[in-house]
Amino acid sequence: MKKLSVLLLVVLLLSACSVGNSGANKEFPTKNLELIAPASPGGGWDLTARSMQKAMRDNDLVDKNINVVNKPGGGGETGWKYLKSKDSHHLAINSSLVLTNELLGQSDLSYEDFTPIATLATEWQALAVPVDSEYESATELMEQLESDPKSVKIGVGPGLGNDDHLSIVQAAGEYGVDPAQLNFLVYEGGGDVVTALLGGHVDAVTTSLSEVKDQHLAGKLKILAVSSEERLEDLDEVPTWKEEGVDMVFPHWRGIMGPPDMTEEEIAYWDEKIKEMVKTEDWQKLVKNNNWEDFYKDSEESKKFMKEQHELYEKLVNDSGLVK
Amino acid sequence: MDINSFINGFMTSLEPINIMWVIIGGILGTVVGMLPGLGPATAVAVLIPVTFGMEPVSAIILMAAIYYGAMYGGSRSSILLNTPGDGSAIAATFDGYPMARKGQAGQALAISAVASFIGGIMAVIGFIFLAMPLADFALKFGPAEYFLLMLLTLSAIVSLSLGRMVKGFIAMLLGLLLSTVGIDTQTGVYRFTMGVPHLSDGIDFLIVIIGVYAIGEVLYNFLTIDHEKKEKKEVGKIWFTKEQWKRSKWPILRSGPLGFIIGVLPGAGGSIASMISYSTEKQISKKPEEFGEGAVEGLAAPESANNAASVGAMIPLLTMGIPGSGTTAVMLGALIMLGLRPGPLLFENQPEIAWTLINSMFLGNIALVIVNILLVGLLIKILDTPAKVLYPIIVLLAFIGTYTLSYNVIDFFLLLIFGVFGLFMKVFDFPIAPLVLALIVGADMEQNFRKALLSSNGSLDIFVSTPVSIGLVILTLISLFYPLVIKAFKKKKSNNLDQSSTP
Amino acid sequence: MKAIKLAFPIVLLIISGIFLIASFNVPKANLGNPNGPLYFPIGLSALMLIFCIGYFFQELKNLQKEDDYIRLLIAGRTPKLIIVTVLLGIGYAFIFEQTGFLIATILFLGALLFFINGVKKWKANIIVSLCFSFITWYAFSQLLGVSLP
Repeated sequence: MKKLSVLLLVVLLLSACSVGNSGANKEFPTKNLELIAPASPGGGWDLTARSMQKAMRDNDLVDKNINVVNKPGGGGETGWKYLKSKDSHHLAINSSLVLTNELLGQSDLSYEDFTPIATLATEWQALAVPVDSEYESATELMEQLESDPKSVKIGVGPGLGNDDHLSIVQAAGEYGVDPAQLNFLVYEGGGDVVTALLGGHVDAVTTSLSEVKDQHLAGKLKILAVSSEERLEDLDEVPTWKEEGVDMVFPHWRGIMGPPDMTEEEIAYWDEKIKEMVKTEDWQKLVKNNNWEDFYKDSEESKKFMKEQHELYEKLVNDSGLVK
Repeated sequence: MDINSFINGFMTSLEPINIMWVIIGGILGTVVGMLPGLGPATAVAVLIPVTFGMEPVSAIILMAAIYYGAMYGGSRSSILLNTPGDGSAIAATFDGYPMARKGQAGQALAISAVASFIGGIMAVIGFIFLAMPLADFALKFGPAEYFLLMLLTLSAIVSLSLGRMVKGFIAMLLGLLLSTVGIDTQTGVYRFTMGVPHLSDGIDFLIVIIGVYAIGEVLYNFLTIDHEKKEKKEVGKIWFTKEQWKRSKWPILRSGPLGFIIGVLPGAGGSIASMISYSTEKQISKKPEEFGEGAVEGLAAPESANNAASVGAMIPLLTMGIPGSGTTAVMLGALIMLGLRPGPLLFENQPEIAWTLINSMFLGNIALVIVNILLVGLLIKILDTPAKVLYPIIVLLAFIGTYTLSYNVIDFFLLLIFGVFGLFMKVFDFPIAPLVLALIVGADMEQNFRKALLSSNGSLDIFVSTPVSIGLVILTLISLFYPLVIKAFKKKKSNNLDQSSTP
Repeated sequence: MKAIKLAFPIVLLIISGIFLIASFNVPKANLGNPNGPLYFPIGLSALMLIFCIGYFFQELKNLQKEDDYIRLLIAGRTPKLIIVTVLLGIGYAFIFEQTGFLIATILFLGALLFFINGVKKWKANIIVSLCFSFITWYAFSQLLGVSLP
């Protein structure tokens, strides 16, 4: 008897695993959908993916199940490589790292290996200094850098070649300072950068606005410039880089892409769904909570945007002196 | 401190739903923390989706409870099976496991629960009165101070290797070398990655912990698996004796504040806190030779310290919005999703949330100590499980724990390599803790050293330029030379010359 | 016995040697001090090499001494147990993503139990491996939402 029941259990288990592959339907999607977060649970990409999952699920946007899969490692590399080997039921979160990994020679994957699906949201970059800093404006800081690029210790994180670093590279380049000469201290992450600034261990930092916004409002540090097109609603005393004479708008965007060779129907399917998704209350709330800004572009626009960004980052990476 | 908000927070924390979250979180944390390879960071991270849609207050209470619950649970497997689930539970193996082998498993579990409780409560009290000044103090730690703190930790490791110094140094150096694998933060250069993108993030110290401890321990036990078959293991009483309490009382009370302060420093955390408290107790003890052989205070002190550190780690998170550890970083991400942004404005705009959390930590620690003491009787039953069934299960848990770290089977190979390496380290009588602890602090140590020199333009003066750094240098020197001096002194006294195997 | 006693020091020597050579081959940095990434690994691996040489001679000196643990390591079925466990682990790594978590785990745990616990207790082995695999699968993938293959 025992034997029999054990056998039965095995059969049950095995059959439970194979359900789901059967019942093929012509209409896309034919099976469960997968969102790949190229990061560990709890990280920014993971939370983006899980919020998308929640927004789509709670608003019944897709008829199939939608799962989040974590594939962390190599600054997105592992996850995107995994995506490349999958079919159109899989999408992955991306950011400018999909461009810089290749440009920095750290990856063979090119953004052209993937099908852009959408650009979702963006953060802005901020330049901040201690509250008692001698620099009253971004222009003053730039002047100082022009006279001696090594004289200002600039904190960035979590690595060189990331948006924190490249945004100041672009700003310096536009102003006429050689970005390769700047003195960078690299910290593990945005939080560490802010701690270092508050403790006076660095003279200035560039980081995502959300890392320093509350500190600025609480008067613990000063934001000198933000990388947005226009001044931001709740920070209207902080000028943009453009106003400081540096012609730069620097989004720190997040998007989503699919594997290579997706058909037009599949792309159209996702275009429709994600267009609806970004309109949902759930997603809007997430954007607000994270201090992001809507940056939605559909697949066609994203394709163009990626191309422009690629050109820009190619220039920035070269200017930064990271690649020779 | 703001009395009104404190009382409001206290009332909110007493709401039945919040009490429920504290208890659920604490138990979940304890259970997950007990499994080899699953520490607080993983526990909090995998439970984030559960918090979606919860009230922010309940979410933060739940996550904090999971965090310190895992601290309670982490030492269970250290004591019973010699397989810590996280860096902060390593120190509990030093004396906890020998105690269990001596038939004092029940006492060890009980004293560690009580020590955790006292450490936790001391830290919560510290939190209430000292959060703001300590947050400011933590900011004083620049690269130079962090480097010195890591150096102090390493010197504590060295003092653990007394009697087998060469082996201790080899293990430590290997740990430091392994910590250099991956991207060099300061320059973006790839070191020793051999073209494997997975390695560019470095070797996760948790894989090494699971490998050398869990897998290594199982393989090591194969040596004797067919020999000690019939003998029934004694588990002893489930409550510690008066004598044991007397020995542990002061170490627990000393280690709580120590762990709390180290926990406040972003980046330091439980591993360093428990390590430093262990070596401090060993050095000031009248019977240092009993440490490592099952000295009860050698278990109680680090347990008190690491729990206090987990409470301390909440200070930079709540007062500055800065995560000081992997676990608090995950918590921060989740809280932001829920629309709660910890930071300098939290205490001004939503003080009741902060105070509710703090008060819930009181309740949480009380609930946890009860749960954990009740669990003692159940847990020592694990030792009754036939070893031949238990070991395969531990191996499997080790694999699963590894998979949850980065969802990549490449890690399985790393796990096996470190498992076999751990086996040989045990067979050849190498101390294992230096390898793992050096790996944990190594990367930060190097990066902070270089950052310090970058900001001083290459001058070494920066390491003695502030009161904090001078203090750390002195502590390191004491920690390095005190045991040697004592040892030389004793040797002279007893005139025992054949002990000179230590070079 | 003697060969094994020297094997570990030699392995450590080789590891430190490889690290030392690899350290010199770490690419130079394009930003900041070009040798910045090199100093730490070179210093560490050189130091480790020195200690390993010391350790090697220490073991060489004690070559004649009996060591219980090393004797146990090569006695009875211990070496077989260790090797088979490692091989099963490697097998698990290969089938993990192919067959999915549940099947791979049942096979792996079952094989380990049969091998360590013995064929005689096959009933207990099967029950433990099925139940335990299912419980872990359920706990991780269903309750905790961990993405398992």
